[in-house]
Amino acid sequence: MSIMAVNKVDLKPKDYKSEVPVVWCPGCGHYGILNAIYRALSEAGVDPSQLICISGIGCSSRSPYFINSYKMHTLHGRAGAVATGAQLVRRDLAIMVLGGDGDGFSIGGGHMPHLARKNVDITYVLFDNGIYGLTKGQYSPTSRPEMKAYTTPYGGPEEPMNPLLYMLTYGATYVAQAFAGKPGICAELIRGGLEHRGFSYINIYSQCPSFNKVDTIDHYRDLMESVPRDHDVTDLGAAITLARQSSEGKAPMGLLYKVERPTLDQRMQVMIDQVGGHPDYDLNQIVDLNRP
Amino acid sequence: MGKKDLVIRVAGEGGEGVISTGDFIAAACARAGQEVYTIKTFPAEIKGGYAMYQVRTSLDPLFNQGDTFDILCAFNGEAYQINRHLLLPGTAFVYDYPEGGFEPEIPPGVHAYPVPMSKTAKELKSYRSKNMVALGALSGLFNINEETLLNVIHDKFQSKGSENLNFNLEAFKKGQALVKDVAKTDPWRIADPVPPKDVLIISGNDAVGLGAILGGLRFYSAYPITPATEIAKFVAVHLPKVAGVLIQAEDEIASISQVLGASYAGKRSMTATSGPGLALMSEMLGMASMSETPALVVDVQRGGPATGMPTKHEQSDLFLAIHGSHGDAPRIVMAVEDVNDCIHMTVEALNLAEHYQCPVILLSDGSLAFSTQTVPAPKPDRIKIIDRKRWDGTGEYQRYGMTEDGISPMVDPGTPGGMHVATGLEHGPTGAPNYSPPNHAAMHRKRFGKLNTVVDFVAPTQIDGDGDADVGIIAWGSTIGVVREAVIRLRQEGVKVKGFYPKLMWPMPVAQYEAFARTCGKILVPEVNFQGQLAHFIRAETNITPISLTICGGIPFTPIQIMNKVKEML
Repeated sequence: MSIMAVNKVDLKPKDYKSEVPVVWCPGCGHYGILNAIYRALSEAGVDPSQLICISGIGCSSRSPYFINSYKMHTLHGRAGAVATGAQLVRRDLAIMVLGGDGDGFSIGGGHMPHLARKNVDITYVLFDNGIYGLTKGQYSPTSRPEMKAYTTPYGGPEEPMNPLLYMLTYGATYVAQAFAGKPGICAELIRGGLEHRGFSYINIYSQCPSFNKVDTIDHYRDLMESVPRDHDVTDLGAAITLARQSSEGKAPMGLLYKVERPTLDQRMQVMIDQVGGHPDYDLNQIVDLNRP
Repeated sequence: MGKKDLVIRVAGEGGEGVISTGDFIAAACARAGQEVYTIKTFPAEIKGGYAMYQVRTSLDPLFNQGDTFDILCAFNGEAYQINRHLLLPGTAFVYDYPEGGFEPEIPPGVHAYPVPMSKTAKELKSYRSKNMVALGALSGLFNINEETLLNVIHDKFQSKGSENLNFNLEAFKKGQALVKDVAKTDPWRIADPVPPKDVLIISGNDAVGLGAILGGLRFYSAYPITPATEIAKFVAVHLPKVAGVLIQAEDEIASISQVLGASYAGKRSMTATSGPGLALMSEMLGMASMSETPALVVDVQRGGPATGMPTKHEQSDLFLAIHGSHGDAPRIVMAVEDVNDCIHMTVEALNLAEHYQCPVILLSDGSLAFSTQTVPAPKPDRIKIIDRKRWDGTGEYQRYGMTEDGISPMVDPGTPGGMHVATGLEHGPTGAPNYSPPNHAAMHRKRFGKLNTVVDFVAPTQIDGDGDADVGIIAWGSTIGVVREAVIRLRQEGVKVKGFYPKLMWPMPVAQYEAFARTCGKILVPEVNFQGQLAHFIRAETNITPISLTICGGIPFTPIQIMNKVKEML
């Protein structure tokens, strides 16, 4: 979300903490991501009363409770669609969606293409731990086949998806990735997303020590490779090539893609301007069009 | 002849101008001061297939499409074949002959008027003028007011250039000339013009759209579905004029989700769909109940279940509308009777959603979706808009704070000091999750309890007739219009009958139902579904034991069907 319209305030990261105690397991990567969100909001100077955090269901979808802002804790998979409605009628607010891999890409997978291609002006932070944690450890769309879990006692029968490749081809205008062990980089990328006008997608790997025994923090440390300094973030082909690294045993960390394209709300405004739209429009004119 | 109304049915192949012919007749009659009630059937095919447009006109109010037609105008052999069993003694039959490609058998007592429509169109070197030739002939034969008809034609074709206009006028005049010397044997004649009333002529779907705009709508999201899509079309044209936003969502789950997001953000929001879409929305409707978020869903019912009969009429979503969600999920359900209701009850439904902070489902149906009717022109400055109760900024804000009427003030995001969570989890007064047994029970009492006043918030159920009756008819949706006429005609025959026409379907005005039933010997509940869905709720919620009359052939009741059943019950 572009936060340009939002009041600038000077608050510390801790000022974005709500009074609700955080309830994740010890060692969960989500703590690092949450701290990165506090930092990003502080650095971007977002007024908490002009921020809506929206989530679906899952461990990470609990995040809004821990953030000092307006918030909606909605249904499994629907956060992005709910956020679209809020954004289109309140273009003056900052809107973040916080959720996990199952929420975003399994049950909510039907909404993802449309958030991206329509360039809905929201910031989507996806906490990717490759597992359904809240239901105690089932394989998710990003789980690796070698992961033995609750419903995959012999290992997973499916190939994991690559969220970055999907988001790039769906048409997201800001695509970045990091992992929870690097909260500084996470904060920088989330802030970038907040300041980007358009649909921002930030994929953050997060270890789940309780249920995902293969994707440990050490695994992510070996996996992640910084985006090369000379990478052109406006080059979709180069971004896709980088995103494909993860299927070759490496995953890029940093900003992969960032372009400007009219957002959905901007295009809606063009239509409103075209017809001279105004809240006080004379409704008699519309009534009269239906006379015999 | 004792019959003040006249029903003209035009039938032919889709693309032959059947629909525009009907539209011309309807508009001309409305301009000549007549009431109009039309129904149409479109072919399921994109092009071709059987199309029908029926216009009922009268100087008196019309409540339904009538029993059958007085005049049939058939553009082709299929139109004749489909309607031949309705060519009863006394009806007039206008058809394309010779060179129409079919040779109908004229049943005894039918007044036949062969008109060379195709042949004349061919002479005019345009097949597309066939319907204008037919229109001219109909005008000449049945006194469809020439002046208003010419005005309508003028208005329609003016924008397409004078050549186009003159060509259509020529075809119309040719059609008139063809019947000039025909000996008229039937009694059918449209009344001479009277001063026109202050009316609109509008379809049920467009009327829902108009009601939404008049009702202060600011956000609309929907997914295409028959027979509701025209609502989106209307809203798409006009919502930007009031600086509102319409979005076509990726599915119905997304559209109701977007509606909740926009509503939470402080704007009046709605979606419209049909049964399959409403089914997909059920989980999010529970979210609206739980999070106390205003949301309006219009369901233009169609034949179900599954894909069912998408283009056919049915009133079979009452169960889904009232109980379609998991858990105990309170909502308000209303049903429109006619096109006028489509305007004013959409306004009312938006008001109810805002006031009670809950989902409201407004049921329309396939027979109203495309039915155009004359309705009193609404006056925008007399439309009453009720907004949600908002926090006044004093004290500590509690989104779900307990109040006397169960309605907790909302606050628009962006307001300092009002930050809170709207949640689908069970919660305490602040919105913080709370699964304690007393809290869950208390919150259910709040969410259901706030709806206790709905029955008094809306107008009392209309009762048709005074005193005692042998039979009382309880009808809902567009069936009401059929029952109204059946009641009038039964009374003319000396039958003691009364009508009860609920528009608020849920919560049920139980006391009103029971008071009505006390004045009637037997209760009849006619509805267009298989199970007798309203009859079921009446048995479950009231002390009434109704007799259920159901039909489910994809078409509405006719007054005669209701009258026959009542007589059987005497």
